Amino acid sequence: MADAMEEPRKDVLVHLNMLEMKANHLAVKQQEVWQVKVGREEQLNATLQALIIKRDQLKAELKANTSLQNLRTLLDKTNAPCERDVEDMENGSENSQTLLLMARHTQLKDLLHAHHLIGGYNVLLTKGKGVCVSIATAYEGLYLETYNLEINLQCKIRISRHNIPPFIPLETMVKQGNMQTDIRAFLDTLSQYLNAYVGRRQQLHLVKEIHNSVQVMESNALCTILVLMFTVPGEKARAALCTLEYNDHTQCLPTRVLIESEDTALASSPQWKKDQALLLETPVHRALVTLKKKGSIA
Amino acid sequence: MDQSMKRTLQRLIRRIPFQLLKTTLSKWAHILEEDLLLLDFTQPKCLFTENLLSLCEGKGTTVKHITELEMIYIIENPNQVMWRAFQLLDAREDAPSIELTQFKEQFKAHLTELNSHVSIKIKKHTDEAVWIRIAWGDNFTKPNHLKPTYAVHHLQTPYVFVTGLTVKHKPLLNQALVLTTRYGSIKDASLSGRNLVAIRDLLMRQYQQVFPTKHPKPLQEKNHVPTNPNIEKEQIENTENRLQMACEAFGDGTLPQLQKAVYQLETKFRDNSNRTLTGSDEPFRGVVEFTSTNLLESLRHAVSSGIASTPVTPLLSSITQKGRNYFVVTDKGV
Repeated sequence: MADAMEEPRKDVLVHLNMLEMKANHLAVKQQEVWQVKVGREEQLNATLQALIIKRDQLKAELKANTSLQNLRTLLDKTNAPCERDVEDMENGSENSQTLLLMARHTQLKDLLHAHHLIGGYNVLLTKGKGVCVSIATAYEGLYLETYNLEINLQCKIRISRHNIPPFIPLETMVKQGNMQTDIRAFLDTLSQYLNAYVGRRQQLHLVKEIHNSVQVMESNALCTILVLMFTVPGEKARAALCTLEYNDHTQCLPTRVLIESEDTALASSPQWKKDQALLLETPVHRALVTLKKKGSIA
Repeated sequence: MDQSMKRTLQRLIRRIPFQLLKTTLSKWAHILEEDLLLLDFTQPKCLFTENLLSLCEGKGTTVKHITELEMIYIIENPNQVMWRAFQLLDAREDAPSIELTQFKEQFKAHLTELNSHVSIKIKKHTDEAVWIRIAWGDNFTKPNHLKPTYAVHHLQTPYVFVTGLTVKHKPLLNQALVLTTRYGSIKDASLSGRNLVAIRDLLMRQYQQVFPTKHPKPLQEKNHVPTNPNIEKEQIENTENRLQMACEAFGDGTLPQLQKAVYQLETKFRDNSNRTLTGSDEPFRGVVEFTSTNLLESLRHAVSSGIASTPVTPLLSSITQKGRNYFVVTDKGV
C-alpha cells in the first residue's frame, strides 16, 4: 500500500521538476531576447544621435557659409563693413569676428590669385641693400612652393641669396637673359621654368597617388624623364614600359612618348598611336585615367 | 678567392662596427638568408671573419661581390669618412638633359679612356644620388680595392662630393666628370666635412631659409630665459630683430650639421704697440677655426642672443650664402 502511494507521488515530483526546469529555461531565453532587443535599441539610438549631430553640424556649416558669402559681398562692395552691419547679420559677437576674418581671408586669397594671374611678383625692400622677390608657383589651381630671390641692386644687379633648387639652371638663365636691363623678362622666364617644374613634380605625385596599377620605374630630380610600367590587357596581358620625355623644360607636357613591350606590334598599332597623341596632349595623371577607362591599360 | 681578395674582405669586415655587421650583411645579395643563419654573430670578430671567409670561399666570391658589400656599407654609413665638395662650372646647353644610363656608360667610357686599369662601379641610391666607386690601378698594378675613391653626384645639379681621392688621380676623375656631366670645368667648392648629408644640404640649399616678407611667420628658435617682464617689453623689438637677422643669415629650424669652419688669415698686422710686426711687408698669417657639434646652430644662437653683433658679419654669413667652410682672408676681402 505504501509502495503504491509512493509511485504516483514520485511521478508528480519528477513532472514538477521538469516543469520547473522548463520554466527556468524559458526565463533565461526571454532574458536573452530582451537583452538583444535593448542592445539593438541602444545601437539605433546612438546612430540617431550621431545623425542628429551631423545634421546640426551641416546646418551650422550651411548657415556659416551663407553668412560668409553675404559678408563677402558686403566686403567687396564697401571694402570695410561697419560693425553694425556685421552685428545685424550675426548675433554671437565672437562668431561674427571669426566670420569677418574668414571673409577677409577669402577675399585676400582671391586678390593674391588675381595678382599672380596678371604676372605679379611680391617684391619687398630689404634693409637698404636691395629687394627680395618671391615667386609663387601653382599647378591646377593649387598653390605649391614659393621661391625667393634676394637681389642686390647696389651697383650691378646681382642675386645674393635664393632658395631655388640646385637643378634649376639659374646661372645659365642669369647669363643668357639680360638681367641688368630687363629684370622683368628674367623673372618671367624663371617663373615659367619653376612653374613647369613644380607642375611636372605634382603630376608625378598624382600618378603615384591615384594609379596603383601603374609603376613609376624611373624619374629624375627635374622631372624631365618619366618611365612608367603598366599592363596592356588582351588575350595575352603584357607589361609595357612607357617613357615620357619632357625636353622643353618650360612646359608641363611631354615632348616625346615611347612605348616598349615584348609585343613588338604594340608600338606600331593604331590604338597606340591614339594613346600616344593623348599622352602628348594631356597631363600624364589624367591621360592615364582616360586610358584606363578606354581599356588600353589595366 | 686569392690572397688579395681575402685581405680586402678582411679589411672591410674589420672596418664595419660589430653592431652594423648583421644589417650590412643582410643587405648583401651575395649571401642568402640561410647562409646568414649559419654565421654566429656572438663570436669575436676575428673568428667571425674566418668563418665568413670560408663561407665566401665556398660560394665563389669575386671582387665584384666584395665591392658590392663595401658600397652597401659606405652608402648606408657615409659619415665615417671625410667628404670634399666640388662644383661644376659653365654648364653646356645639354647639361640638364643627362640621364642615368647615359651617365653610367659615358662616365665609364671617359674614365677608361684616360686610364684603362680602373675598376668602376656605379649605383643609384634611393634619394636620386649616383654613387661612383673607383679602384685605381696603372700599367703595372691591378686596381687597388683597398683604397677606392668614392664620388657622389646628384644628376642635373652642379655638385659632386668626393672622398678618398689622391692628388695623382684627381685630374683623371675631374676630366671624366666634366665630360660626362657636360660642363666646362670643375673647382673645389671649399667645403668639407664628415657629415655628407649636411654638406649636401648646405650646398644644395635644402634647409629652411628665411627671407624678409611682409607677413612674417613666427620663427622657431625661441629658447630665451624669462627675466624681468619690463626689461623684456623694452627689448622685445630688438630681440625679434636680432632673431630675424640670425635666421636670415643661417636659416630657420634644423640646420645642416656642419662641424667646422676655417679661416686662413693673410692680412697685414695692425697694432701700433708692436712696431716690428706692423711694419713688416709680409702678411701676418694665422688660422681661425670654429668647431661645434652643429656650427650653424651655434652661430645662429650667438647672433640671436646678442653674443655676436648684428648685422651678421659677411665672414660668418658667407658659410651659408656661399656654401663654404674654408676661407682665405686677405686684405682685399674674403
